[in-house]
Amino acid sequence: MPDLSGLTPAFLLTVACMALATYLTRIAGWLVLRGRSIGPRLRRVLDASPGCVLLSVIAPSFASPDMTELAPLAVAALAATRLGFLGTVLAGVLAAAFIRQVLPLLMG
Amino acid sequence: MRDWRWKDFGRGAGCALPVALGFAPCGLVLGAWCVQKGFSTLGVPLFCGANFAGGSEFAVVAMWTWPPNVLLAVMVTLLVNSRHLLMGAVLGRFMEGLPARKAMPALFLMCDETWVLSLADAAAKDAGDRPRGWSFAHYLGTGLTLWCGWVASTLSGALAGPLLGDMRVWGLDMAFPAIILYLVKGMWRGLVPSLPWLASLAAAVAACRLLPRGWYVPCGALAGIACALLLPCEGGPDGGPDGRAAKEQAKDSATPGEGA
Repeated sequence: MPDLSGLTPAFLLTVACMALATYLTRIAGWLVLRGRSIGPRLRRVLDASPGCVLLSVIAPSFASPDMTELAPLAVAALAATRLGFLGTVLAGVLAAAFIRQVLPLLMG
Repeated sequence: MRDWRWKDFGRGAGCALPVALGFAPCGLVLGAWCVQKGFSTLGVPLFCGANFAGGSEFAVVAMWTWPPNVLLAVMVTLLVNSRHLLMGAVLGRFMEGLPARKAMPALFLMCDETWVLSLADAAAKDAGDRPRGWSFAHYLGTGLTLWCGWVASTLSGALAGPLLGDMRVWGLDMAFPAIILYLVKGMWRGLVPSLPWLASLAAAVAACRLLPRGWYVPCGALAGIACALLLPCEGGPDGGPDGRAAKEQAKDSATPGEGA
């Protein structure tokens, strides 16, 4: 029997509202913007906003004073510019595992 | 063009399959992450299947609290998925003539990859300006395959998640920022268009240090949008969404396993 304890009304409401919000973004372009031109300013905001939000979401990692957080983050950022999906994730995870598990052993 | 062809449906499914496999690791990480945040196993495919937009799911799960903050989740979702507006506007031209009772449900399946693969297929069949080569069956084959792949991989992650234990010990928590950095890199269009990102990151980091927890995402997003509004416009009127630009972009980025 799977665990159903997390399926609270508030959870289901959040899922429903998010799904509706995403669906609105999918049909709004088709309903409203179809055949119209979009000004350069609006276009730039629409182009930039996903990256803005995604980077804001991981800001706590960048704000951390902890080197075992910052160093693997730098490795992952560098890897993202060079490697594909798996390479980037592996670089970040391995760097974090190394600095947290292996380095303390080496330093004694 | 409007008649249904199973051959097109199969072709769409076939070209979406490697893409779905390519982002399966992403779904695994997300599913495991959801369970660690207290989602029930069944809640994960529900959450991912109903929304079907990975970037917003990662963003919302990262800020997840119990009880969930519905308003913040919806705002973040709208901002991350605002790119669908442009994509829908472009796809709308290709869907011309398709009745709303078909187009409206089909748009549920429009994600970055469906859009790219569908337009790339149309571009391959039709070199002219008129979007005649677009196939509804191909679009549905692509979209349904990607949806099934996403739900299956996030569910698998949810099932495997409890086995992983404390993600921090072995650095597995770093998978999350790494995935976000990879996604953002996929959106990179040069330094100047990316300045709003730097503004966002700087404002969000400052908010993390100075403001109560939970404010950094709205602060970062607002700073980025303000920066995008203030940047000078490059010369020349902007044509808005146009089929040719979309086709070029589709050709550029239609490589399996890239982007999510």
